[in-house]
Amino acid sequence: MAEKDAEIGFKKDTVSKLLTGFFKEDKTRLGGDAALLMAEMLKVFVQEAAVRSQKQAESEDCDQVDIEHFEKILPQLVSSSTKSGF
Amino acid sequence: MSVDKEETHQRLKAAVHYTVGRLCQKIAEDHRREFSRQVIAAIAETAVRQCDIFAKDLEAFARHAKRSTVSTEDVKLIARRSTALSVYIQNKSEELNQDQRELKKKNTGKRKSRDTEEEESRE
Repeated sequence: MAEKDAEIGFKKDTVSKLLTGFFKEDKTRLGGDAALLMAEMLKVFVQEAAVRSQKQAESEDCDQVDIEHFEKILPQLVSSSTKSGF
Repeated sequence: MSVDKEETHQRLKAAVHYTVGRLCQKIAEDHRREFSRQVIAAIAETAVRQCDIFAKDLEAFARHAKRSTVSTEDVKLIARRSTALSVYIQNKSEELNQDQRELKKKNTGKRKSRDTEEEESRE
């Protein structure tokens, strides 16, 4: 069961290509371990977004997580000036 | 963006969308509350945009250290603001180092084990 959980995650190759595409300079490379670590980082980001949306939906007594719940948690999630943001 | 680059980007976005969907499904099961398709699409879009921000920061950190290759040290800096996240990423980095040491041990096989035996006998 625990092993099945560990399977869900971003592929190193996907993360590597995505990040490399966003670099300003062509000569910038992404190390192998750095790519693996970024895949982990991205997974945490998505899980945080999902769990915070879940909590918002729960507090509003809704039985489905809808876009308005995500919209409410988004500002703090992406805020770089608070401890709870990325 | 060229047509080729744009197509690759769209494919990468689709890959991210797919994984976000699976991660959300797992969390939905745990909390017994489903995510609407719109939410999954929005989380995927936000994740890709966050990657843009991460990439630019990583590139700047590497450059500041006079490197052209982004290393795990740069990733640790990205995670510095939240203590919990920072600790989590540091531990993951340690795990990666551990894995690599074990792999090296296996690859160099006998020589390596003889070396460690010598070290142990010296101790």
